[in-house]
Amino acid sequence: MDFRKLQSANKLKSTELLFGMALLVGVVIWALMTYFGKTGVGVVPFAVGIALLSVWGSYWTSDKIVLTMTGAKIVTEADNKQLYDLVTEVCIAAGLPVPKIAIVEDNAPNAFATGRNPEHAVIAFTTGILRVMNREELQGVTAHEMAHVANRDTLVSAIAATTAGALALLSDFMLRMMIFGGGNRRDNNNNDQNPLALIASLVVLILAPLAALLLRLAISRKREALADVTAVAFTRNPTGLRRALEVLAADSTVVHQKSTAVAHIWIESPLDDSKTSKLFSTHPPLATRIATLRAMEGIS
Amino acid sequence: MKVIVLVIAILLILALYAIMSRNRLVRANISVDEAFAQIDTQLKRRSDLIPNLVETVKGYAAHESSTFEAVIAARAKATTATTVADVAAADGQLTQALRGLLAVTENYPDLKASTNFLALQEELSSTENKVSFARQFYNDNVRTLNSAIKTFPSSLFVKSAGVTARPFYEVDDPQDRKAPQVKF
Repeated sequence: MDFRKLQSANKLKSTELLFGMALLVGVVIWALMTYFGKTGVGVVPFAVGIALLSVWGSYWTSDKIVLTMTGAKIVTEADNKQLYDLVTEVCIAAGLPVPKIAIVEDNAPNAFATGRNPEHAVIAFTTGILRVMNREELQGVTAHEMAHVANRDTLVSAIAATTAGALALLSDFMLRMMIFGGGNRRDNNNNDQNPLALIASLVVLILAPLAALLLRLAISRKREALADVTAVAFTRNPTGLRRALEVLAADSTVVHQKSTAVAHIWIESPLDDSKTSKLFSTHPPLATRIATLRAMEGIS
Repeated sequence: MKVIVLVIAILLILALYAIMSRNRLVRANISVDEAFAQIDTQLKRRSDLIPNLVETVKGYAAHESSTFEAVIAARAKATTATTVADVAAADGQLTQALRGLLAVTENYPDLKASTNFLALQEELSSTENKVSFARQFYNDNVRTLNSAIKTFPSSLFVKSAGVTARPFYEVDDPQDRKAPQVKF
């Protein structure tokens, strides 16, 4: 299978999902206008503002925050020459500047990358992954992480998080207004409203946060699939990453930090397990990812 | 009145589109130059490693002089090459010569155990990877530029942007070409 085609297919899919989120925002605003009249729209800037404030600060300083949250230690070329060489090789293949490299003391094999742009990127490996993987596998993992940097996935997930956050806030405001203060306004504005439209807008307001969450997770999964394909575009070696994912699949230890705040950034999700429904996971199932890489290798 | 505004708007959009297409060509051309500079940097790194490597191997295998000469001759050639084709040819020869040198070291267990040699070997194999990724990145950028030159609408601005189709970096590696031998 051609990685260039897979790359554009995955990009298109995640763009479509982002448009889906924009559409959802439109529908929620329609619901607001239907239910509360023009005054309802007044809360939109507040919800968006709060969501922006809470997400974009952490987006801007993501490289520093994540290092603190995961306890990752920055290493230099002198500390770990081989790891530094490995990352530099992949960066040359990707045409990216060499990021800060960090190591997390943790026995579970895992890795992540973050940062608002390639110039502020940081890539981190657990001591576990450095122990269990050989050079070719680590190169695959590094390429997957650098693919996130190249595809600006920190930005994509910040946009998705902001939209989902704003929708959750909006829906929360509205439901409160309905319960506590909505009565008067409804008398003023909505006497001539179609009752079906009122019910529909109520349903929209109740379901919007869940829909936004599902869209956000779907975007996360698509970007993971895209990062796998982009990694192959960098190394032209699907085998390395496929073997690395097989090592992760065989390993049962899980990163200790189960903080949901940073779950989505690891190469293998520390939260998703076989009991989590596919709709609610941040990553596609390892088996699916391995199958795609196998198809790129030409073995089925 | 409305017609004039519409015409102006369309012209503006077309002009913007033209500028973007032309800029795309210029940018692609710069990327090719940068990618070639990266190959050069990595080849230079490899070339700098060679004297040290040859000295280390000589200490254990002094009589393998023909192998050393091949490496040194290929290195000298590589430092003078400038065009893409010449650099690629010299790069291919040096890669071959180094492969020969590393094959020779297989016969000297003392050499293979020396820490100096191990460090050099890691450095050399990493540099080989860097060279080959730099080649791949260069060829990807040439591919982007050459297809922008051939496809509409950027093809209209090839002259004004002052870009030309660039050659791919092709290393002539006998190991890739070798046909499997058939014995009866």
